[in-house]
Amino acid sequence: MTAPAASVALRPGEVLGDGTTGRTRAAGGWRRARPWLVVAAVLAIGVLVLLLPAPRTSTTPGAPDNAGASGSRAIARVLERQGVEISYVRTTAAAEAAAARGGTVLLLGDVWLVPEQVDRVAALENDLVLVDAGWVLSSVAPGLTAGTDAAPRRVRAAACDDPDARAAGTITASGSVADPSGTATVCFPPAGGPATEGAYVVLEQDGRRVTALSDLTPLTNDAVLDEGNAALALRALGRHEHLVWYVPSLDDAGTSAGEDEGTSLTDLVPWVRPVGLWLLLVLVVLVVWRARRLGPVVAEPLPVVVRSAETTRGRGRLYRRGRAHGHAAAALRAGTATRTAQRLGLPRSAPAPALVDALARATGQDARAVEQLLYGPPPTDDAGLLRLADDLHHLESEVHRP
Amino acid sequence: MAITSRAVLVALLGLVPVAVLPAPVTVLAWALVVVVLCAVDVALAASPREVALSRDVPRSVRLGQPTASAVTLRNVGRRALRGVVRDAWPPSALPDGDAPTGARTPRHEVAVPPGEARTVRTPLLPTRRGDLAADRVTLRTVGPLGLAGRQVSLTVPGRLRVLPEFASRRHLPSRLARLRELDGRAAVQVRGAGTEFDSLREYVDGDDVRSIDWRATARRQEVVVRTWRPERDRHVLLVVDTSRTSAARVLDATRLEASVEAALLLGALAAHAGDRVELLAYDRRVRARAVDTHQSRVLPALAEALAGVQPELVETDWSGLVAQVRSRLSRRALVVLLTSLDPAAVEQGLLEVVGRLTRRHLVVLASVADPELEELRTARSTVEEAFDAAAAERAALERVAVAARLRQRGVEVVEALPDDLAPRLADTYLALKAAGRL
Repeated sequence: MTAPAASVALRPGEVLGDGTTGRTRAAGGWRRARPWLVVAAVLAIGVLVLLLPAPRTSTTPGAPDNAGASGSRAIARVLERQGVEISYVRTTAAAEAAAARGGTVLLLGDVWLVPEQVDRVAALENDLVLVDAGWVLSSVAPGLTAGTDAAPRRVRAAACDDPDARAAGTITASGSVADPSGTATVCFPPAGGPATEGAYVVLEQDGRRVTALSDLTPLTNDAVLDEGNAALALRALGRHEHLVWYVPSLDDAGTSAGEDEGTSLTDLVPWVRPVGLWLLLVLVVLVVWRARRLGPVVAEPLPVVVRSAETTRGRGRLYRRGRAHGHAAAALRAGTATRTAQRLGLPRSAPAPALVDALARATGQDARAVEQLLYGPPPTDDAGLLRLADDLHHLESEVHRP
Repeated sequence: MAITSRAVLVALLGLVPVAVLPAPVTVLAWALVVVVLCAVDVALAASPREVALSRDVPRSVRLGQPTASAVTLRNVGRRALRGVVRDAWPPSALPDGDAPTGARTPRHEVAVPPGEARTVRTPLLPTRRGDLAADRVTLRTVGPLGLAGRQVSLTVPGRLRVLPEFASRRHLPSRLARLRELDGRAAVQVRGAGTEFDSLREYVDGDDVRSIDWRATARRQEVVVRTWRPERDRHVLLVVDTSRTSAARVLDATRLEASVEAALLLGALAAHAGDRVELLAYDRRVRARAVDTHQSRVLPALAEALAGVQPELVETDWSGLVAQVRSRLSRRALVVLLTSLDPAAVEQGLLEVVGRLTRRHLVVLASVADPELEELRTARSTVEEAFDAAAAERAALERVAVAARLRQRGVEVVEALPDDLAPRLADTYLALKAAGRL
């Protein structure tokens, strides 16, 4: 990386170095790399800018981190501001773990649950708020069932003496829960429906409070400001300091706890991970070794390769595609006629009958047949052409026989 | 910067400590060890820029003849140099250069102590005619540990001219014998209009009585005959057509290769016969020329001129060519057109202007015939082959017709397979000479 000694005497034709020193090479490298470094820096800043302010949001209906119309971030934010700690969970196991600290468990929908999960949710000792979860509700309280008909979404009045419902006054909800046995408090009945059905049901059971809401709508960001939705939701969910917000997910089979999957290979052989990592590094070194070429590839202009007979083959193909049997036959006949005439000592300008006579005499064939072969009607199909070509060849070989 | 296979081995060796102490720290530490070792080796390696390089290449070589390029490394630095040298040449210059994967330039291990010089030789076997320019010389030095080193690729001038193979020179001795025979029998059989008076000699049995010089006989006591010799000092102009029709391949080589072979044989023969030989390679402009020179230098001059001639994908400018020929020739000459008897090309170009040449000169057209056409013509077992045979037949008829039209205009037409073209053209030349038509 030092400059070559300027005092070296070079002989004619000798080349010494490429006129660069370590410094000029470094400067050149920096100059070449600069645009790329600028691009990389801009990209990095862009990625950071995109990453930083992005809050964690989702599009799951009813989720506390969903700011969309079907989400419930408004309710969750208000509850948090009032001092309620929310644990947002997506699996039954996590819900059980969070529920162990006490507080309310909110279940949103039970479509993705399997029977085992339903049993485990029902077995929780916490206060339950079941929204749109008729299956779990009937498992918790066998007397309660889903409403007889899908009542439309309407404004409904409380029409019961539950304090929360009375505080809300009216809500917008659809569907209903039926309580034929009369063990629970039924509120917000659908217009014109039986008194044993309502959108909101409260039930005291084994020292816990089970609340069921037939519809998610009162909790959503979209509808929370309508009527008394907010009041009902906040009162139902804000009873305890801690709220487990459980939105079941499709990928939770709920059968295993998740933590104890059994021992993996890394537990048995502790050095597998570092050795794998090291082999990756060795691979990098290998790539560096092989990637450095001993000088650039030498390029050379290649000659054009066109066979001389290519044009003739092309013409043959054109004949074939055009089904030009007549043309092809004429060419074959003319070729044979020219060669045989030359062979028999006839001039190029000899008339056809003279050639036919000479050929008939030379080959001993019938003059009529020879004339038919050389000057007959052109063939119209592949078989005819092939036969003609064969016959001409045959005739020619007879003439050429000494 | 470059690392060697040994650096990979050292890295692989790191598996032992990593397996014994499986922790990320070990991985990091050994990686550091490898990097530091390589850096030290690079720092200690001799600088490839402190080596004076020179390349020694023969000026020219005949196609297919092995030769070698020698690169001399003179270490002008203070450190002993150990490393690898690659003397890069285009693939067609290397043995096995025709391999589909291309040839790998040989690399040479060298060790040059300070102040000394070493020479490495790279064998060359050119497979293509023309000027070959050497590529760069790459020098990679390795440090004392043999782990890593430094590399530089330098442009060292070097050029090798690949002359035509002149495979047809095997026909030369027999044609020269015929030429001498021609010389000897000239008095006996040939009394054409163009033959020149040579000398008087005594009559021997078998001489043509018509060649007895009665006036000389009267002055002497014995019968004296005149002897004649073939004309000398005639002009022969070889015109090589390098247009697109010369690029087509017949068998393994282009038409141009056969033309070059034929031009060399005819040039050598004519030079021996005492004629003045000139050469012109032309398509739309002059690609190469060789002017009249001393007899012994005709062949080298022709080979040198034809070495760099390559087919160009353009149409021949025939009127320009005729103008060139007329400006080059002041008196009657033999003009040999080494081109192709391609009916379309001839009809649209040569046929219109050839009359201007034949008016003053004797014109011979030599063309390469394609054996594949004959195969196409005779194979007739399937319908496809029958159509191809018809096309070949039509092409042959057109060639015959165009050759006949050329002959009508006074052009001698020679058509032969690639290997036969050179001897056939030489025979035509001898026949013309014997007939005194030059």
